[in-house]
Amino acid sequence: MRQLREYLGLVLLLSGLLLCGCHRPVSMPAPAEANVRLVYWTAPNPDEVALARALVAEWNALHADVQVVVQPIPAGQSSEEVLLAAVAAGTTPDVCSNIWPGIVHDFVKAGALLALDRFAGFDSLWNSRIPPTLHEVFRAPDGHVYQLPWKTNPIMMLYNVTLFKEAGLEQPPRTYSEYLEAARRITADTNGDGLIDRWMGYRDIRPIWWQRYFDFYAFYIAASGGRTLFDARGHLALDTVASNRVFEFFARLYAMGAFPKTSLQGGGGPFIRGQLATDFTGPWHLIWLEKNAPSTLRYEVAPLPVPDDHDGPVYTYGDYKNIVIFSTTRHPEAAWRFVRFLVSRQADRRLLEQTRQIPVRQGLLEDPYFASVFAKYPLLARFAEQAAYTRSVDSVPDLKELLDAIAQEFEAAAVYQVRTPSQATRRALRRMQMILDWNA
Amino acid sequence: MPNPKSIAVSLFGRLRLRQSGGLGGYLLVAPYLLHLTVFFGYPLLFSLVLIFYRWDIITPMEFVGLKNFVRLLRDDLFFRALLNTGLFLTLHIPLQIIVALFFAELLNRPIKGRSFFRAAYFMPVVVSGVVITILFQQWFAFDTGLINRMLRALGGEPVPWLVSPALAMPSIALMATWKNVGLYIVLFLVGLQHIPKHLYEAAELDGANAWQRWWHITLPMLNPAMVTVVVLSTIGGFSLFIEPYILTGGGPLNATLSAVLYIYNQAFYFNHMGYAAALGFCFALIILVVVLLQRRFVETDTWS
Repeated sequence: MRQLREYLGLVLLLSGLLLCGCHRPVSMPAPAEANVRLVYWTAPNPDEVALARALVAEWNALHADVQVVVQPIPAGQSSEEVLLAAVAAGTTPDVCSNIWPGIVHDFVKAGALLALDRFAGFDSLWNSRIPPTLHEVFRAPDGHVYQLPWKTNPIMMLYNVTLFKEAGLEQPPRTYSEYLEAARRITADTNGDGLIDRWMGYRDIRPIWWQRYFDFYAFYIAASGGRTLFDARGHLALDTVASNRVFEFFARLYAMGAFPKTSLQGGGGPFIRGQLATDFTGPWHLIWLEKNAPSTLRYEVAPLPVPDDHDGPVYTYGDYKNIVIFSTTRHPEAAWRFVRFLVSRQADRRLLEQTRQIPVRQGLLEDPYFASVFAKYPLLARFAEQAAYTRSVDSVPDLKELLDAIAQEFEAAAVYQVRTPSQATRRALRRMQMILDWNA
Repeated sequence: MPNPKSIAVSLFGRLRLRQSGGLGGYLLVAPYLLHLTVFFGYPLLFSLVLIFYRWDIITPMEFVGLKNFVRLLRDDLFFRALLNTGLFLTLHIPLQIIVALFFAELLNRPIKGRSFFRAAYFMPVVVSGVVITILFQQWFAFDTGLINRMLRALGGEPVPWLVSPALAMPSIALMATWKNVGLYIVLFLVGLQHIPKHLYEAAELDGANAWQRWWHITLPMLNPAMVTVVVLSTIGGFSLFIEPYILTGGGPLNATLSAVLYIYNQAFYFNHMGYAAALGFCFALIILVVVLLQRRFVETDTWS
């Protein structure tokens, strides 16, 4: 009997140890005098963490009753995966400002988000801040608004002015033909070892769905005059002509060796070293260039190249990141007050200055309050001008896998050219339809 | 056949277990049973239920009947992943057997430093697959990889080991063989050491040459080890995951997308738990059929 008791004791001890390992981790302690404590998750890059810490310090100094603890989104393969795990585990923060609109559909369906339009002052904020063209884009099918558009990063073409001038090009290419011609002049083997070491551009060729935002999707939006993959009723409406043209454009670039098929190491390094003449990127890249580019490097930004017969403004992918309040919050009103603080004019100015990202705000370029920032950073003004001509992603289920279908075909048609552009478009459509049928 | 209870008593001599109806034995096996139930039994049963549902972890499960299987039949990527896995097995199993047999024969001879070589060949088996894969990533890199640098130094052309759709899977098979061959060498070595010497002596007296002795005695006598090696490397090959996950992500052009990697992507990348369960169910059936067929054709009665 004694042995039995010993064993039961051992089992209980082990169970206790296991349970100890299952407790919810405790984050940074809130000040003892605070009535309300909010947890705010921000994007984990250093510039945004610094911005969040500065804003939260300012908020905490002004609001002793509502203290906010800032935490970078925990490490993971992507922020979306981490947020999904947090929703599944019920460990979401009160507020998060790094929400990709493509995931909001699932979060709403899961009941993980609070409708923001139920809060006092929402309408005035929504109507004064958010451009009317975006109102319906970010409204959920149930008619409520669960995400507040916070910032946009329009994808544009960054180019090395010196390399263009050396190639006899005074202006950046506006069309596919001009871009291909520039690529012919710039792509070269500069050290004579028989291998190309200066390219027109570079894209990660792995078929990763989100990588295609910065090539296929941005170029598709540009080529189609601002269309996305679905129509307003949520039906698949891929513009096959635009899709074929984008596949063909990149196929020609890869075929002529103007884009390398191998992995170039070092993030933005190849561009500042003069190995790449162009890069398709957002304004977040400007701060990195300011810190890392040699003073001799002259660079500019321009809209993405479009088909030769394109008419009208050049649209691009906006890479929006929005703010949400999770339904796990115990202090929704306090969270809403904090959200309003995050989108105040002062906070928007800090966003511009500290991260070089564009706040989603009507009349940003005309507002004298921001004029000095744009005067100081003229390239940022170009991105802000482009922000008026951006598109987000469609709010549909399984968007990741739908984009993966395109990523597969991009690899086949553009990078390896084992399929024609029209075959690639047809195959992408077929797979997307299969996914949609399954999800119907 | 040793009695589990007697083993338990010898291991835990202090315990005085009753010979029948006692709780002690059950308590001893309880941790394992608990582990088995929580980490194997429950997930297995849950996945069998899941195949009829759509579930993305965060929203309630939705019954979809056979819809997951209907999609499966239209999913050309899954069939591509099955073909890739078949190609891997076709390359990996013969390579594994030939290399393992060759080194087992060498290590069965009285060569100098035999113990060192036996340990050295087994070393990759105990090293983490992730570590080895990262190591090979450095070796296989097109521009900066060790192998291509050596080829260039010898005046050759660099080989696109992981960049070429035609070479990527053979490269992975090569790496997997290097990683696992030590285990199979040991299995063959045990088999070789158990072949009675008098069989060779009798054959020699009958005038059999070295090749005839190997073909007619060694190989048939290694049949039990061969069956084990074939079955183990088949199951190991079917579960190909770490190598393509780290090295290629399934590319280029899905040339290294294995079935397990595709199932993983559906479950944890796209959060299609029900569909992934349906894929896993079909894949498990395929493995079962292949292993049964292998046993049917490879296993023979050594002594007949």
